[in-house]
Amino acid sequence: MADNQALNKLLQVLKASGADAWEVTDIQEKGREFYLIRHKLDQNRARNLENFLVRVYRKFDGFLGSASAPVPADAEEEEMKRIVAGLCQDASYVRNPFYTLNQPEPDAGKAGEGAGSVDLASISGDFLRALSSLPETPAEDLNSCEVFVTEVRKRFLNSEGIDVTTVYPSSMVEAVVNARKGSHEIELYRMYRCGTCDSVQLTRDLTETMRYGRDRLRTEPTPMLGKADLILTTDAACEVYSYFIDRLSCSLVYRGLSDWKTGASVAPAEMCLRTAVFLPNSSRNGAYDPEGARIRDLALIEGGKAVSYWGSRQFSQYLNLQDSFQASNFVVSGGSASPEELREGNWLEVVEFSDFDVDSVTGDIAGEIRLGYLHQEGRTIPVTGGSVSGNMSELIPEMRFSADSRQYDTLLIPSVTRLNGATVTGAV
Amino acid sequence: MNAPFSPYLSGIAPGLKQLISLLRKEYDYVSVLSTDSAGFQASISQRSKSVSRETLTTERGTVVRVYRGSLYSEAAFTGFDPEKVQETCRWISRELDSQLRILEASGIQPYETAKLPDGERTIFAEMETGRLPETEDLSGLVARLSGISDSGMKSGTEMGIRMIDCQARASSTHICKMFLTENQDLRQSYVYSEGSLSALVTGGERTEMSYSSLSGRCGPELFDEMADKLPEVLRIAKDLLAAERVVPGEYDVITSPEVTGLIAHEAFGHGVEMDMFVKGRALGADYIGKRVGSDLVTMHEGALCATDVTSYAFDDEGIPAGDVIEISNGILRTGICDALSALRLGVEPTGNGKRQSFSHKAYTRMTNTVFDSGDSTLAEMIAGIRKGYLLEGMQSGMEDPKHWGIQCILDRGYEIIDGKLTGKIVSPLVMTGYVPDLLGSVSMVSRDREVFGSGYCGKGHKEWVKVADGGPYLKAKARLG
Repeated sequence: MADNQALNKLLQVLKASGADAWEVTDIQEKGREFYLIRHKLDQNRARNLENFLVRVYRKFDGFLGSASAPVPADAEEEEMKRIVAGLCQDASYVRNPFYTLNQPEPDAGKAGEGAGSVDLASISGDFLRALSSLPETPAEDLNSCEVFVTEVRKRFLNSEGIDVTTVYPSSMVEAVVNARKGSHEIELYRMYRCGTCDSVQLTRDLTETMRYGRDRLRTEPTPMLGKADLILTTDAACEVYSYFIDRLSCSLVYRGLSDWKTGASVAPAEMCLRTAVFLPNSSRNGAYDPEGARIRDLALIEGGKAVSYWGSRQFSQYLNLQDSFQASNFVVSGGSASPEELREGNWLEVVEFSDFDVDSVTGDIAGEIRLGYLHQEGRTIPVTGGSVSGNMSELIPEMRFSADSRQYDTLLIPSVTRLNGATVTGAV
Repeated sequence: MNAPFSPYLSGIAPGLKQLISLLRKEYDYVSVLSTDSAGFQASISQRSKSVSRETLTTERGTVVRVYRGSLYSEAAFTGFDPEKVQETCRWISRELDSQLRILEASGIQPYETAKLPDGERTIFAEMETGRLPETEDLSGLVARLSGISDSGMKSGTEMGIRMIDCQARASSTHICKMFLTENQDLRQSYVYSEGSLSALVTGGERTEMSYSSLSGRCGPELFDEMADKLPEVLRIAKDLLAAERVVPGEYDVITSPEVTGLIAHEAFGHGVEMDMFVKGRALGADYIGKRVGSDLVTMHEGALCATDVTSYAFDDEGIPAGDVIEISNGILRTGICDALSALRLGVEPTGNGKRQSFSHKAYTRMTNTVFDSGDSTLAEMIAGIRKGYLLEGMQSGMEDPKHWGIQCILDRGYEIIDGKLTGKIVSPLVMTGYVPDLLGSVSMVSRDREVFGSGYCGKGHKEWVKVADGGPYLKAKARLG
């Protein structure tokens, strides 16, 4: 591993390079990984990684040139000089309209202040114990899983004087659940990202997944419904709310990929969306963004109207925002209905898609149904196959969502979302 | 010219061999994969420009694989110092031993696996390239991409399209990898490049993005002809703005080579990754020797069966590249396999053990996945359809190896009525179905064949690696929504 000596060497190279401005991120990751097949250890792995990410700026009349490169932490001084010299040259012909870099805040503290460490052994043990004690039965069990536990340590410095460090745990679990009846076996896939191990949440989610597995064994082919009211109660709903988040990012707005304007109605009238510095057990709880800007709680949508954009230094300044940032966590709220009120009439509740996608540019939604519950005339029928499609611009006017919430790592969103009038292609 | 092998890797090779010797005192098998890959990517549009010397596959680092007591373990790290081999050796032992203590406390037993063979093998491959990314004149490239973007805006407007932006992207990476064991010394160096053009257009309340790509196992010379793609991108943009929604249902379809490639990838690419056989996660294991498609369906997979972005000399576990016939005239013959899964299944590895980067685990992964050509022409295929669609452009796909469901999100369909293209376009399209039904319905296969290498492939929802896929036009039946 490199030490401060390597970073100091790189900073000296940058200061002597003739660059008008620069940014350096020292990224260190220490990780442990466990791969299990039917509760037996397939493989265990350790990671100890460090790299510098360098961006160099050149100022021109009305323009700012920039270029970036990774610099190996073990690079010799000559290699550092060669990379930085190349970046200075690259930056001279990659010119964008001028913008300024983030400035240090008076109360930012010293580098590394408050930065602790992550107990990888303890978190790893918690995950392994939780996965070993799931309520499995002969008919539903864990096929395989992968556990990743990482301490992420990022130190960001720039030529304006910012020097801030964030340290946080980042974990990921991939789990495959089987359910079987006689010779018929199905599988369901789950990917969880989080900070540390929340055993209760993990067990609850995987128990729910096993229940879905049981239901998938008794599905019927999805009928051709034409238009239907779609209810989402699992992580597919994140795609729907990410549509709103993405379309308010400065990058999409400036580049013309989103035409949303502040003050305009862009969402259901009750919807509120805000950024959050901290969400319990999020895998991305850091006080600073990748450009050294302090992350804040900021309203993006209030009462269905866009009230602010969010995003990088470059694109936010192009939209005349002076203190924006790249948010990590988001909260959607404002719903007034209970889950029961949303589940009225006839609806299709899809809990498993092959891959549910909402295109942030076009608004098109699409996904193949792996498990849904068709509620028609008081009957509930588990269904599989066929697909859901539509466009958000047509679905937003009739979109409704619950008052209570469910967290998916960096997103706290309504637990139940109803999209009326989606197109459902049947499996037969 | 040949892409020269990394001097950095050559420099640390003696130290890594020393590390292997030291670790062999504690472990029954030791291998090392070290990488040093440089590259660039440039993205130029009317509204923003960026250049970075980083791509998804640029990296420098080392991963050590060790085996003891039927268990394989790995340690990945940056910054190997040949002067501190003892220190590195101690860190690996200490870290892996501490993990074993946690596993023992949790009562977790190892999955029994035999020791990998370590017969003598030497490979030194420096593959041909026109130019190198690390010495490419990026000022010239940026000027060329800017010119393409400007031309796209001008030409699109002249065609009556309301242009928002036109973006040109170029990326090139010089891959250098070294695989060492006590008895093996494998070194390879090759360059791959990929580029794309996209047009962001609007028509009333609709915003659409058209896209076309190019790729190859070659250097940045790939981008010299990039402007030739512009008419196609603008034609697609105009088509998308005119498109309607499809009436959901089952149709006769003709899949273009790009869509054919997506089907190959999702249907019997993921479906026969044999690490899934070990876990009992793939239906394909039960269908070896059985019919899964019509007589016209033959499919290859392997780094040697096409020359594109992932056509390497050996995989990330030191297994030489292969060319596997997965489906022969509709019969599923075999799958593809990484080295550890091959040991567990008692088969030979096929050279498909790949990692997202040196710091990630190796899994069974695809390289080039390609349907064989047939003897029909596209014109004959169109003439054979009473009502259906010619499907072009792919957005994404998702596999379901356990149940053989398939989901392909496609860009557009061109309506065919009574053997003729009507000019009507539908977009976007969700193509779903049961893989054997889809492949069983293939009734015509065209003579031509194309391979596309601009995509990435994930395992589940992570572990992104470069892949290429393709084939000819196929006439089949599919469910569209």
